[in-house]
Parts: sequence; structure tokens; C-alpha cells
Amino acid sequence: MKAEVLKQGIAVKKHKTSEWHSYELVGFWALRLTLVLVLFILGIIVFDIVSKGAGVINWEFLTQPPRVGMTEGGIFPAIVGTFYVTLITIAFAVPLGVGAAIYLNEYAVQGKFTRLVRMSVRNLAGVPSIVFGLFGMAVFVKIFGFGPSLIAAGFTLGLLTLPVTVTASEEALRTVPRAYREGSFALGATRWQVVRTVVLPRAIPGILTGTILGLARAAGETAPILATGAAFFLPHLPDSIRSQFMALPYHLFIMSTQHHAISQVRPIAYGTALILLVLVCLLNLAAVLLRKRYRERVAKGL
Amino acid sequence: MMSTNAKVTIEETRIQETAKHGIGKLNKSIENEYCEVKAENLNFFYGPVQALFNVTVKVQEKGVAALIGPSGCGKSTFLRVLNRMNDLIPGTRLEGKVKIHGKNIYAPNTDVVNLRKKVGMVFQHPNPFPKSIFDNIAYGPRIDGLKNKTALTEIVENSLKGAALWDEVKDRLNEPALALSGGQQQRLCIARALAVKPRILLMDEPTSAIDPIATQRIEDLVRNLCNDYTIIIVTHNMQQAARISDNTGFFLQGEMIEWGTTSNIFTNPQDKRTEDYITGRFG
Repeated sequence: MKAEVLKQGIAVKKHKTSEWHSYELVGFWALRLTLVLVLFILGIIVFDIVSKGAGVINWEFLTQPPRVGMTEGGIFPAIVGTFYVTLITIAFAVPLGVGAAIYLNEYAVQGKFTRLVRMSVRNLAGVPSIVFGLFGMAVFVKIFGFGPSLIAAGFTLGLLTLPVTVTASEEALRTVPRAYREGSFALGATRWQVVRTVVLPRAIPGILTGTILGLARAAGETAPILATGAAFFLPHLPDSIRSQFMALPYHLFIMSTQHHAISQVRPIAYGTALILLVLVCLLNLAAVLLRKRYRERVAKGL
Repeated sequence: MMSTNAKVTIEETRIQETAKHGIGKLNKSIENEYCEVKAENLNFFYGPVQALFNVTVKVQEKGVAALIGPSGCGKSTFLRVLNRMNDLIPGTRLEGKVKIHGKNIYAPNTDVVNLRKKVGMVFQHPNPFPKSIFDNIAYGPRIDGLKNKTALTEIVENSLKGAALWDEVKDRLNEPALALSGGQQQRLCIARALAVKPRILLMDEPTSAIDPIATQRIEDLVRNLCNDYTIIIVTHNMQQAARISDNTGFFLQGEMIEWGTTSNIFTNPQDKRTEDYITGRFG
């Protein structure tokens, strides 16, 4: 009697296992399929840009300004402009974002207010970039009187990256073990000494990776710089932070939708897209390498 | 201030401290009120939850005082009251007085940073910083503003010797502290605390995360250090309290049930609950 019940039990269990097994197989294949699909789409985009853009890229393309109504020549001013505007974005967003994160995480008394601030910062990340662009135009270009310029565009992009910078910095600060903080406090360190000597050294790699990823996004944005300083065409490089500038994403936008001879400049547009892609990939690569070096350092205990 | 102090070796400090100690004893006989650590009617709250009830205790200079009791009885909370580590936890509140060297450390004008320099702490889990051995020990003096390399080297050496770790690490001071074994890390943390030249050392179950042999070395070290420092140690291990302490306090549910010399507590407890605990009837 007992043995029979046991047998039945085993049989039922077996049946269920095989059923689950086939469910799982279907599930796995569905998941694999989605992965393949994602890679496929990415592959098509990259292949399209590289195959059509690689042809125009040469030394002249990288180092010469556009010529003959932008139908010939290179994209040098756009590369320089994107570089400059990114520098200003860093100078604006990093101190502000890291400072805010340090205050939020290390100094502020945690409560309703800090939760509200955090929520606002996170929601800022969801604001469409064109809204940032128009805000930048209203505030930096008009009210602050910067005019359309590198600084106005840099600040606008800085605002755009701020949520990423603050959130990433806070994450990084939060991963510093409490034991380090306590150890430091117990030796008579002030709060700022704890932050400076124990918390920040540990958090900086994480802060940097987060910030770089934010910058990589900002460098590719068009809408925020559209109304704050990016120029259709400039014969010379920007000579001060108050100058207008050419930028890669905006140049790409012009070359693919606004130019009078669109089909003629198509290869230049693809070349610009490729350079922008490479630039963003390089920034991401820098973040990955930084994280790798950080992990190795942690493993070594230094 | 540190740079002049730094030239004084630990040995010299010890001589000075012994001199002070003598005077301290004299004072004590005249004025009973003076003690190293004194808590009076201490109540402590984590938000709405009361963790300590009316704790009153006097700890004399030098020697080892052990705090025993079951988990969650408030002994660690009490320890962390003494260097105001609980300040770091939001929503905590304290009633009553805690005096160290005769001064109420919860008075509004107390310099907490200075207090923590006088009252060092060693934690349950060894927590060396992810820096080199040298930088770990030099951490305290450095945040105090000492930059002189020779003075720092001297402090590092003396502190490591004080913590009985020097012979094991003297050839690899620049290696990461986290590469040391658990027991060595804990002695490093003791050395790190000594480098700040505290008067009192608080130890929060310092051996609960390390193996028996390393534990014995720490216990020997504690016995040695108590000639120069007042040591208050929280321990889960009653045998350990019996082995190393001069006085013992028994905590239960936030109250200090009994306080007395270790031999009295263990051989002739006055309270039934103490007896039940040390004979292993609960806890």
C-alpha cells in the first residue's frame, strides 16, 4: 500500500518534470531568439553606417573644414566643436553632480526631503532632450545672456547629464562599505575627512564610469544644442566659449535632412555618423576599461 | 601639536602615563567621583525603541572590563555610546550622563572628533582600509595633520610593535593590508587605533570573526595592552571574559544586571539571572 502511494508520487513528479522541461526549452529558445534579433538589428545599423561611411574617411575628412557649400571637404570643425562642448559639459556637470551626490549621500539627514530630491533628479532623466534644449535657450541664451554659444550649449548638455551623474555617483558612494566609514570615524576623522580619504577614493572609479556614460549620451545629442549654440556652418573654429560652434550630431542632422543637395552629400553624412559612432564607442570603452582597472585594484586590496 | 608629540615614543608615553596613573590613583582615594568612564542612569533609544535602561556603571583606569550578555542585550550599544559612534545612526537619542575623565561627553560643547581620538575602537569584523599596511596605521596621525615621514614611520613601527604585529609585517609595510590574514588584520586594526594614542580602547567582539589561534594572540595582546590602556571589551564568549577581564558587567534586555570583579561575577553572582546566564541556562 505504502509502496504504491510512493510509486504514484514518483510517477506524478516525473510527469511534471518532463512537462516543465519542455516548457523551459520553449522559453529558452524564445529568449535566444530575442537576443539574436537584438544583435541582428544592431549589426544592421553598424554595418550600414560602416559600409557607407568608411569610404569617405581619410585624413582630409578628419582635418579639413567643409568646402564648396558643404558638398566637399571634411568635418574638422564639427569634431572640434563636439570636443569643446563636451569639455564644458564635464566642467559643469561633474562638480555639480558629484557635489550634490556627496551631499545627498553623506551629509543630508535621510528623510522625506532627500527622497523628494532623489525622485526629482531621477525624473529629470526622463525629460525629453528637446525640452532641455528649449530650457537652455530660455535660461542660458536669453536670461543669462550667453547668446547662442559653446557655454550655453555645454551647460544645457550638462543639465541633461546631471541626473545620470548624480545617480551614478550616489550608487558609487553607497557601495563603499559602512565598515570603512566607521573605522575612519572611530579614529577621530571629521565627516569631510572620512569622505575625502576613505569614501571618495573608493567611489571615484564608479563615479567616473557613470559620468563617462552620461557624457557619451550627451555628446550624441542634437536637440539640446540645436537652439543653444550649434551652427549650420562656420568657416572658422570657435575662438571663445561665447562663440557658436559646429557639432557632429547637428552636422549629421543637417547633412541628412537640411542640405540643398542631399543625395550628393549622403556619403559625408554617413562618414559623420561613423565618426560620431566611433567617438561614443571610445567613450564607452574608456568607461569599461576604467571599471576593469578598478575591479583589479579592489581584488588587490589597494 | 602632533609633530612634537610624535617624537615621544610609545615607551616614553608609557612612562608618562604610569606617572599619571599614580597621580590618578591618589586622586581617586581623595575624590571618589573621578573615574575613567562613568555612566549614570543612561537610557538610550533607537527611534521609539529603547535599547538601554537606566545603566549605571563606573569603570576604573587601566585593566580590562568585559561586557557579556546574550545577543541584542545592548552591550554593543553601550560600547558605542562611549565614543558616540551611535551619533552616526539617525534617530538615536540618549538620556542621562556619560562621563569620561570626569567630563560629560554628551554635553553640547563636546568635541566628538577629539573624543574619538581619546577613545579608540576595534570592531567585530576587521576593517582595515583598502590601503597599504603603512597607510592604514598612519591614517590617524595623518588626518591629525602629521606629515613628517620620519615621525610617521616611528609611529607606525611603535604601533605595530604595540599590537604584536611588527615582526610579521615589517618587511612588507607597503603591501595591501587586506592581503593579511583575518587575525593579522584585527591586530592591524588595534595598531591603527593605538597610533592615535588613545587612553581608552573599546573592542566590540574583536575575536568573533577569527580563528582560535588568532583569538588567543589577541587575548594575550589585550592582557598586555591593559597595562597602558583602559580596555572595555564586548564579548559573546564567557570563557573569554573570564580569561582576560578584571571586571565584568552582565547585560540583559538593555539593563545592566550586575557589575563587579570578574571572579565575583563568575564564582559568586549576586543576581539569579547572572547565575543562570553564566551557568549556561540560557543565552
